[in-house]
Amino acid sequence: MIAMSFITSFFTFMAVVSGGTLLVLVYLDNRKSRIDDGIAQFRRHIDALSPEARRNSVHHNNSDDRWSR
Amino acid sequence: MARDLAIDLGTANTLVYMKGRGIVLNEPSVIAVNRQSGEVLATGHEAWDMIGRTPSYIVAVRPLRGGAITDFDITERMIRLLLQRVGVSRFTRPKVVICVPSAITEVERRAVTDATRRAGASDAQLIEQPMAAAIGANLPIDEPVGNMVIDIGGGTTETAVISLGGVVALEAIRVGSFDIDAAIQNYVRREHGVAIGERTAEEIKIQIGSAEPGPDDRSADIRGRDLVTGLPKTVRLTAEEVRFAIDEPVAAMVLSVKRCLAKAPPELAQDFLARGMYLVGGGGMLRGLAQRIQRETQVPVKMSPQPLEAVVLGAGHCIENYQALRGMFMGARR
Ligand SMILES: Nc1ncnc2c1ncn2[C@@H]1O[C@H](COP(=O)(O)OP(=O)(O)OP(=O)(O)O)[C@@H](O)[C@H]1O
Ligand SMILES: [Mg+2]
Repeated sequence: MIAMSFITSFFTFMAVVSGGTLLVLVYLDNRKSRIDDGIAQFRRHIDALSPEARRNSVHHNNSDDRWSR
Repeated sequence: MARDLAIDLGTANTLVYMKGRGIVLNEPSVIAVNRQSGEVLATGHEAWDMIGRTPSYIVAVRPLRGGAITDFDITERMIRLLLQRVGVSRFTRPKVVICVPSAITEVERRAVTDATRRAGASDAQLIEQPMAAAIGANLPIDEPVGNMVIDIGGGTTETAVISLGGVVALEAIRVGSFDIDAAIQNYVRREHGVAIGERTAEEIKIQIGSAEPGPDDRSADIRGRDLVTGLPKTVRLTAEEVRFAIDEPVAAMVLSVKRCLAKAPPELAQDFLARGMYLVGGGGMLRGLAQRIQRETQVPVKMSPQPLEAVVLGAGHCIENYQALRGMFMGARR
């Protein structure tokens, strides 16, 4: 009787602990990828503003053909 | 497939950039409306030719005058007409980026966004004009250095410091090149007793107006209506007189640039001295203005090679790289 209840509560305890750990791991993992996403987004943003990236939309427009609508 | 658009709905000129094509429309922001029926009679160049020459029931107006969205209904109609003219139909709903003055209020911001959506855009985003100008003028804004851009348009003067892809300091006033036209009109009326139209005033500004004395100071004969006799009259204006007449708006523009310099982080001050400030916008083309700003701030000023197009080219670049540059749009930041 006592052993039974000990085993039950032990397993319950283990389940709670592992479940909690899993949640924490998932949360940490998410947070890490969110920070990475932010950095990646900033890098894309800065790259898209580089003079080379802008050459297409800015310089190609300087030709005269746009006036002949 | 809808082609996404960038629109610079300036107080003086409207430009449209189409994704993959470049600038497809460039004309004055003027609309002629029949006051009785509310019908739009003409837009752009055609309406511009009507300014001050219409019978009383037709009005040719600049709906965005003062840099503010003064007439919401006309603004919406204007955007709708623009979209129609560049080929947007009910079945092609493009994403649209609109360049707006950074001094725009929350209410105006919502008004422009709503008007654009209602006019047929699937998504409407706003971008501040100086930010767009910096992108379009090809300043190295991807680097951690202070880039200063001054945009002097018809209705607004905006100065911004941009570093590492974001706005660091911003200063905007609702004084622009139209105020110079108005100052010339007032002066001629007051000192010579002659009434002139706003188009004549603009011509005087472009021909003999200046912000600093220069070697090409000239005089010009101008025609207007004598306020006393009501008859046509010609008077001679000198460059010096015009400089005196327009000093108030010019001084306000220079002061606004100075205030932006004062707002910028001190770390960036040496960048300005080394790299200078960039001047864009049609108003910046006033003779001697760059020199005057340079003299009063002690910071070198460079004129952009395409002062009138920089803003729409910058917004166009955001349309070409919509995903990467979403952070540039108003409301996305902070
Ligand atoms: N050579 C020139 N000298 C002086 N002023 C000029 C010259 N050319 C154009 N302008 C003025 O520039 C103004 C138009 O500039 P621009 O097209 O940049 O304004 P906008 O973008 O429509 O206005 P905003 O940015 O304030 O909404 C007009 O007021 C025009 O009179
Ligand atoms: Mg402008």
